[in-house]
Amino acid sequence: MLYRRQARRYNTYKRKKTMLNPHPGLPEFTYVKLASLDEACGFLVEHAGEARLISGGTDLLVRMRDKAFKPAYVVDIKGLEGTDVLAFDPSSGLKIGAAVPMNRVVAHPDVQKHYPLLAQAAKSVASYQLRNRATIVGNICNASPAGDTLGACLLLGGRLNIYGKDGERFEDLVTFFKGPGKTSLQPGEIVTSINFPLPEKGATGTYLKLGRNKLSDLAIVGVTVYGFPDKMTESGFRIKVALASVAATPLMPPVVETVLSENEITEDTIQEAANASMDACFPIDDVRGSARYRKEMVRNLTRNAITEVWGQLQSRTENGLEANR
Amino acid sequence: MAVTDKMPELIGKSPLRVDVHGKVTGAAIYTDDIQFGKNLLYARVKRSPHPHALIKKIDTSKAEALPGVKVIVTGKDYPQRIGLYLKDKNIFATDRVRFVGEAVAGVAAVNEEIAEKACELIEVEYELLEPVFDSIYGASPDAPLIHPDMGDYEVANFIFPKPGTNISNHFKARKGDVDRAWKDCAAIVEKSFHIPQVQHVPIEPHIAIAKTDDNGRVTLWASSQSPFAQRNLIAKTLGISESDMRVIAPYVGGGFGCKAGVTMEAMPVAIALKAKGHPVKMRFTREEEFYTNFVRQGLKIKLKVGCDKDGNMLAMENTMYWDGGASTEYGVNITRAGGYSSTGPFDIPNVKTDSFCVYTNHPIGGAYRGFGMSELHTGIGQVMDELAEKIGMDKVEFLKRNSIQGGDINVTGMKMHPIGLQECIDKVAKGINWGVKEKASSDNKLRGKGIAISWKAPAMPPNAGSSAFIEMNEDGTATVNVGGQEIGQGAFTVAAQIAAATIGLPMEDIRIAGPLDTQYSPYEWQTVASRLTWSMGNAVRFAAADARRQILEMVAEAWDEDVDDLDIINGIVVSYRSEKEMSLKNIAVYGIPKEDDQGWIGGPVVGQGSFMPSYVTGLDPETGQGPRAVVHYTTGAQGFDIEIDKDTGKIEILKAVTAFDVGRALNPELVKAQMEGGMMQGISSAIFEEIILEEGVMQNPSFVDYRIATTVDVPRVMETYFVEVPQDDGPFGARGIGEHPMTPTIAALGNAIYDATGIRLEGPPFLPEKVYLAMKDAGILD
Repeated sequence: MLYRRQARRYNTYKRKKTMLNPHPGLPEFTYVKLASLDEACGFLVEHAGEARLISGGTDLLVRMRDKAFKPAYVVDIKGLEGTDVLAFDPSSGLKIGAAVPMNRVVAHPDVQKHYPLLAQAAKSVASYQLRNRATIVGNICNASPAGDTLGACLLLGGRLNIYGKDGERFEDLVTFFKGPGKTSLQPGEIVTSINFPLPEKGATGTYLKLGRNKLSDLAIVGVTVYGFPDKMTESGFRIKVALASVAATPLMPPVVETVLSENEITEDTIQEAANASMDACFPIDDVRGSARYRKEMVRNLTRNAITEVWGQLQSRTENGLEANR
Repeated sequence: MAVTDKMPELIGKSPLRVDVHGKVTGAAIYTDDIQFGKNLLYARVKRSPHPHALIKKIDTSKAEALPGVKVIVTGKDYPQRIGLYLKDKNIFATDRVRFVGEAVAGVAAVNEEIAEKACELIEVEYELLEPVFDSIYGASPDAPLIHPDMGDYEVANFIFPKPGTNISNHFKARKGDVDRAWKDCAAIVEKSFHIPQVQHVPIEPHIAIAKTDDNGRVTLWASSQSPFAQRNLIAKTLGISESDMRVIAPYVGGGFGCKAGVTMEAMPVAIALKAKGHPVKMRFTREEEFYTNFVRQGLKIKLKVGCDKDGNMLAMENTMYWDGGASTEYGVNITRAGGYSSTGPFDIPNVKTDSFCVYTNHPIGGAYRGFGMSELHTGIGQVMDELAEKIGMDKVEFLKRNSIQGGDINVTGMKMHPIGLQECIDKVAKGINWGVKEKASSDNKLRGKGIAISWKAPAMPPNAGSSAFIEMNEDGTATVNVGGQEIGQGAFTVAAQIAAATIGLPMEDIRIAGPLDTQYSPYEWQTVASRLTWSMGNAVRFAAADARRQILEMVAEAWDEDVDDLDIINGIVVSYRSEKEMSLKNIAVYGIPKEDDQGWIGGPVVGQGSFMPSYVTGLDPETGQGPRAVVHYTTGAQGFDIEIDKDTGKIEILKAVTAFDVGRALNPELVKAQMEGGMMQGISSAIFEEIILEEGVMQNPSFVDYRIATTVDVPRVMETYFVEVPQDDGPFGARGIGEHPMTPTIAALGNAIYDATGIRLEGPPFLPEKVYLAMKDAGILD
């Protein structure tokens, strides 16, 4: 009987969840705009724990409104030296300043030409209006496991330029994420840009995002795949995978790369890689999806993404051969 | 009243909406656009964190001491109850809270921040009570009582509460002999469904501003579908005379039922009564909208249906447990509507229906586009699909064989008026290429088609009335005054069209008076129930005919001719006998001078009209039988051709087709917009929307996790068809179509999913996850 079950459930009833404040509003804070990175860094050190950086503010302000963050100071990085740079150098690669909005990245011809995967991932974030404010570096520093651009940035070899009280340092993105909302940044440090090396020759990639509806949703699961020809491997290719929303940080299961490097790439090996990808992740149940569904989706989307990338790699190789003849 | 029978040219045309310019340019005034000056106070609400508790003590002293706080009110100040059909709600909780988010105290302060701070300073001591989160359990004798005093509540005479239980209405229908009929059935299907709560999510959240003047007269500005019902309910509850309360209702940024009746509007009035001279503004946040606004009630429905070997329906047993929430002041009538429409548009000789409205400690259920019908048809449409399959009959043939037709006696004993449902089924079947199994676009897709039919009657008191008056202006134009609201559906445009067509004016010579203002606008019950085109349309038509008669009589006297020889064409009075012509300019206000300055004929022309159905009868409480339960039914069909992605469970709608019998499409573009928009809202509730409640707390109170369909989710192809079997008492034969297009959607999509996969889900939303895991568990996936 239904009601008995309900009654039993009530016996163990402990109010675990309460209503959020139905009248959220921004807390009081002081907006700080400083003249240089040095000053900004000094301010952050001086006010450690009570100051936060703002770039586009698309995450920060929402969380402040919900009182998840209550910084006394909000320090704007827009206008600080180098944060507005979006530049491609054919010898060294791409630099995206911390204050460059995603729409600028998506629209940049060199990004479209050399880093289409990054453009695709950025374009899947929220809505066009949000992307007028949201930044790639903000997406990274936010360190949400669901961040749509994180997979592309990781697989493309992103390296952060970080300014701190002891000067400038670089950190590879792969070591940056420490947990949901947690990074390796030290007090006072400011990520000023992300830099990408030149893409591998013949590289291609894709980002498959599973949202609940077609526009502006968060990823229930996101799978980024990046591949390129590599003579050093058994298969002749190197194909890497990054997963969103299935662990505390973005995941890059090395086993997937191994399966696809050490074996001839066939439907079976792709399936094996997809299974390995599923086994490597450990998602949770939440309001957006169950762990069980997420695991299944990691497998299916990994398979589909690899198949797509593999198809592109093959057709490029064939076209290349055509051209050589 | 004598209204000319000829069909004017403007009827069946689609002139531009009268509100389009203002809305597109941003010039249109919405409630929050109105400026109130420096005396304005801002109101905030202290809300219950508990689903069910007794209020032991409220201490407002700290909040009162906060500088900037002007007034604090609690349930103690207003012990009286309010409600549309059952007075079971307090403006602020008195001794008990019944859902998470219920208003406990209201604060007005000089700004929102101080009001908010004051709310935090109000201390409320609760004693927790066992809550009820399930409607079937709630209806059982084991459940704790949520309204122990229900027996004392004032109630409309067609609602039947069961004091001593949580059942606030029990609608029964008994027709034929169900128990005997099962023996004759060659096929029987039994199934249960659960339809969760969803919300209206208007883009404009609720807002109301109230002001009490020195004489104690109250003005309320509100985003409202129901200024007159609000005046009536709020005034009565707060001891104000109706004429001392004035409600002004500017344009509405989305209603869908949630701005009908009284939801939050009584709160600012209650506060303003204690802050004379100060306008008091209460503006909901989106979070407040999600947590505390009325919802579409949840439903648990158990159905048993049977037919003979030839596929003729013999019997239905329908038991519905509606999750009415903490108050069912509006919900009781939803469950009644679910009861008297409980067979759907099917002709079934033996019926047993029990529709229970059950109190729970969930958000309050209220009116939502097509109330009761989407939920009810979700069950009916899907069991009929299975019954057709079980008896081995083509599903469309089964629907056609069993759908109700004009002359049939329906579940409540009412003789059906002529309807074009058969034609609707044909059009939808053809539209989705029914009967042809089509290939999926790829190997990892499954394709399926589904069809369902529905009906809905305006759910309202038997005597819901409309009125209108039309003033002629000096320049020969006419100002149409109505009390029905423009909530995006095009009511003002259709009113203008009816007036223009009836008087004989071009469309551009009509002005609609606004905003609605109970001090000046004529009475209208509420803008709900798809009743405006029909009911208010009649009032406008009568008012226009009255104005026309006055004009023609005046001119006939001036010309010494017979009224029957005169006509008004494009604002010019013409005589078919003498071939004289006279423009309406000036004469409709100043009259016509007699020859040789010998006086004047006529005077300012004001036409008036009103309409109220007089023929709706009561129903026997034990059997639900009576001569005429409702004014009429709008009927129709909907079908989908879909693909399901085997990798994700996602549904893609390749084609959506709908056909409804609208009586007469007065403005085809607006009818089409209603049909597409309604179907889209249906699709949204079918595949995205659900208020996820855990122990009474909504888990997804934001647009991040309460997804609604957006433009990009619209099906690739949508087709809409009108069938026009005229309504005998509708203006030019029209009947309502505002709500109906979303009522068959969930069932039709459920049937398409079943066709594609063989899976029947317990209820919406048909999320990819649910579809995928069901396919997985059924072994459909490799």
